[in-house]
Amino acid sequence: MPLKVFWDPFSSDDFGPLIKVIVMPPAVEMDAGRLVGLEYPRPVPIKALIDTGSPFTIVNRVVAKNFNLRQTNPHVPLRTLGGPCTGEEYCCSMSFPGSDLPKIEVMGIVAADLKRERYYSCLIGRDVIRNWNIEFDGRSQCVTISA
Amino acid sequence: MDTATPLEPELKVFEAHREEWSREHLGKFVVIQDETVLKFFDEYADAFRAGLEKFGVRGTFLVKQIWGTEPVYFVA
Repeated sequence: MPLKVFWDPFSSDDFGPLIKVIVMPPAVEMDAGRLVGLEYPRPVPIKALIDTGSPFTIVNRVVAKNFNLRQTNPHVPLRTLGGPCTGEEYCCSMSFPGSDLPKIEVMGIVAADLKRERYYSCLIGRDVIRNWNIEFDGRSQCVTISA
Repeated sequence: MDTATPLEPELKVFEAHREEWSREHLGKFVVIQDETVLKFFDEYADAFRAGLEKFGVRGTFLVKQIWGTEPVYFVA
């Protein structure tokens, strides 16, 4: 079943199609960590914006910290409409609750401060959506996402 | 206060080899811990798994894609 979400492109409160994602350390890392007594938080869905303007997927720094993601690159230069900034790359898994979209077992994710964190904590970038089929019906304001 | 940047030694190793690696391994991912360069990989996920296996879950390691010049990504 494709995932269907609604997006009103003319609403100032609607920044784009939002879906739920679960961001966690990869299972291979958690399995190894639990063997040596490490603990991990329980999975909690967060809101993510489908963002065709981002080359890769970005998560709020707070999320990366709270979910114990492992940093694999401390310096990712970014250029935004607000000016240049630096992010860090972490390793995670990503799943999409309430949908048939396949889980991504291991991926890099950039952490940065997201200015509209009240509305979403993650930007789903082109590194993820390149594997999806996304259709937008402007008349019904329905976005259909399938793998 | 500890102001050391995580993975700073690994970044120095990377920068020291960037020119050489960008000729031989452009676009690939390298895994580095301290001064140990593990290997080059086509995919980030394979590089991470190899780093985890080699250095363990308590170890830290750098996974970085190799470009001649550090790309600056535009996020809109």
